[in-house]
Amino acid sequence: MKNIRIWFKKLNTARYISHLDLSRCMERAIHKAKLPFWYTEGFNPHVFLTITMPLSLGFSGTRESMDVKLLDDNYPYKDIISKLNSGLPKDIEVYEVTEAKMKPGAVAFSKYEIEINEADASAIADNIGKMFSEEKVMVLKKTKKGEGEIDIKPDFAKMKTVIKKENFVKYTVILKSSNNGSINPNLLFEAYNNKYGKQIYARINRVFCYDEKMNLFI
Amino acid sequence: MFSKEVEKILPKVQKPGRYVGGELNSIIKNKDNVDIRFAFCFPDTYEIGMSHLGIKILYDIFNKRDYIWCERVFAPWTDMEDLMRENDIPLYGLESGDPINEFDFIGFTLQYELSFTNILNMLNLGGIPLLSKDRKELKNIVVGGGPCACNPEPIADFFDIFFLGDGEEVDLEVIDLYRECKKNGESKEEFLIKASKIKGVYVPSLYEPVYNEDGTVKEYIPLKGAPKEIEKRVCMDLDNTEFPESFVVPFLDIVHDRAVAEVLRGCIRGCRFCQAGFLYRPYREKSVDTINKQCRDLCATTGYDEISLSSLSTSDHSKLNELLDELHKWTESDRVSVSLPSLRVDGFSTELTDKIKSVRKSGLTFAPEAGSQRMRDVINKNVSEEELMKTVNVAFTNGWNKVKLYFMIGLPTETMDDVADIVNLGQKVVNAYYENPEKPKGKSVSVTVSAAAFVPKPFTPFQWFGQDSIKTLEEKQKHLLDTNTSRKLTVNYHDAYVSHIEAVFARGDRKLCKVMLEAFNRGFKFDGWGDYFSYENWIKLFEDMGIDPDFYSSRERSFDEVFPWDHLNYGIKKEFLINECKKAYEAKTTPNCREACSHCGASCYKGGICVEKHKNMV
Repeated sequence: MKNIRIWFKKLNTARYISHLDLSRCMERAIHKAKLPFWYTEGFNPHVFLTITMPLSLGFSGTRESMDVKLLDDNYPYKDIISKLNSGLPKDIEVYEVTEAKMKPGAVAFSKYEIEINEADASAIADNIGKMFSEEKVMVLKKTKKGEGEIDIKPDFAKMKTVIKKENFVKYTVILKSSNNGSINPNLLFEAYNNKYGKQIYARINRVFCYDEKMNLFI
Repeated sequence: MFSKEVEKILPKVQKPGRYVGGELNSIIKNKDNVDIRFAFCFPDTYEIGMSHLGIKILYDIFNKRDYIWCERVFAPWTDMEDLMRENDIPLYGLESGDPINEFDFIGFTLQYELSFTNILNMLNLGGIPLLSKDRKELKNIVVGGGPCACNPEPIADFFDIFFLGDGEEVDLEVIDLYRECKKNGESKEEFLIKASKIKGVYVPSLYEPVYNEDGTVKEYIPLKGAPKEIEKRVCMDLDNTEFPESFVVPFLDIVHDRAVAEVLRGCIRGCRFCQAGFLYRPYREKSVDTINKQCRDLCATTGYDEISLSSLSTSDHSKLNELLDELHKWTESDRVSVSLPSLRVDGFSTELTDKIKSVRKSGLTFAPEAGSQRMRDVINKNVSEEELMKTVNVAFTNGWNKVKLYFMIGLPTETMDDVADIVNLGQKVVNAYYENPEKPKGKSVSVTVSAAAFVPKPFTPFQWFGQDSIKTLEEKQKHLLDTNTSRKLTVNYHDAYVSHIEAVFARGDRKLCKVMLEAFNRGFKFDGWGDYFSYENWIKLFEDMGIDPDFYSSRERSFDEVFPWDHLNYGIKKEFLINECKKAYEAKTTPNCREACSHCGASCYKGGICVEKHKNMV
């Protein structure tokens, strides 16, 4: 038996599937594929799976992962990929299986792409630039412990503008994302709404996860 | 699929997964390659609609035809609706994301009267004129089917067509006719007149109701050659009736999230309060082989690990044990569990519980429906107290310690003593637990009795009965609470106000259409949900419209009254229902269809139990 990591994309309609619903969806696909994965024992056995750092509702992800225990060490990875995909909806696609090298809890940072697709995207980007030129950018952040004001300027300091056109702007940013707390990329737009009184919708896609030393999560 | 506009509002709503589609096994076609687009609408939330078997069956049948694309549409919750209206986003099909006013057919399933307001709201949200007469072109044909189609008069003005009975065949015939008419450039009226000639099709605009001075129906006059009576459609050979090999598998946790195999249609029992027991006659079973194959197919295509054997009364299947043995040959190794949705008091045995592992030890539910034996004889619920005690003892011996019992109050001839006997029966179950030497060790018992207010329905022997007033029902509810002296026994009852409004529409006539329209104008919706139902608003509405709701709910009818549903023929003779009604008042029971034929009229379909058991009848 070995721990394997199954890598998949979660796009379009699948962005709106919560962590719990994604687990059930994966369980059904595994059950349907009759794969030799380890099931919990007891009255109501179910496949043992761990989804790494579940995405927020509404975000897409192009390198998401989940861990399972493979009972048959020699079972070909390519069969896992094809069999799982036949039981998954089109917007969730498995494309790679590897050994689970790092522990799922090792994730400390995530890299996101943020896309603003509005007629005045360029002007919005200018406003964002102005906002971050101030000393502090305070937003209300809800945590398990309650609400508190935090300054997000340090978190977004290294945000990069990848594309800037009149009606389309794309950023990338690496933000804290760990079991001990995360910074949601949408806090950027909460700050924007606080300052400019306008709600901005942006598409957010997670591209990679990293450990605390900024090594790529593998 | 969803549009860019929808994408922007999704982050602001609860459970956005309801509004995006994309589920496993959902069907995507190219709209340019189909002739017919069918919007299958369920007038309630995604979680409820997706649990419904009928929509799965028809979705599959329609989409198997390459010229039809059937999509699913559910009522958006009010947070989503508000944002859709604010941003001018019309109601759309989940598969394509296209507005429903681009569809040829808008089909609603009519499951319960309190969902009627949602139908109008959905049509309006889809940009479709509410009244049939305002939709002049041959498009957006609004159709409905399901149990409430047996008296669709309160919503008749909004629909073009109702389907009576099993939809599998008749729906396709109408779709094919529409396709033909569209090709030939015929008008909507020409199409409807032709459709009215198809068996099982009711075109309400081709029938003109005439009323007596007292407001009751005098007659229905068929227009433009429409048949005098509309006969329901029945699929007699269930083994050869199409059933889906796969279900759309939702992402969200819906109400019934499992594979569902339909094991039989109809019911042998003839409980006098139960509309389904009469509407779906005759009783027809699927063979063990068919059910077994359908279960295997569904598990293979969906990945579900639970199968529910569904029907009005699954334990009545003549080969249930054989079926369970057959299923066990593969379900255990495939890690699939089998469950029964409801158990009859007299259908519960140790043998059965051993075979159905998924019946969790957490709780068992039975429906004796009435407390006293006399009352159970009145409603023809042929279950004795002895059987109930035997059943709960089997349950206690097998480790259960929680039992829920369902009852009705407000049944014909009911006295306060009958009401008290509901609680007394619950107490007897509590006592049985303590007298059972094999009960679970060291655990206390918990018995819940739950009482719903009875709603008289068309096509039942109680269709003449005047519903108890709210005042009487509330006295009965109070009497339930007062009778209970045990802490092991919990007494619940359902809201009588909801049952009153349900009763108005269940036996309503076409004069209620204007009430429905005004209900929509006043923003009524989700009346089946406690959060939105307002009795005060309904009563105010009836007052403002000059309609007396009690004319429909609590008025006792005479046997010679013409009903708004008398021109609809469900194969059950009115004389039979009258006879059953008389027997009810004498507390005389009627044997079930397996014991003896009671000549209800359903043998006219020449099949099912009518033929199997009584070959000389047909």
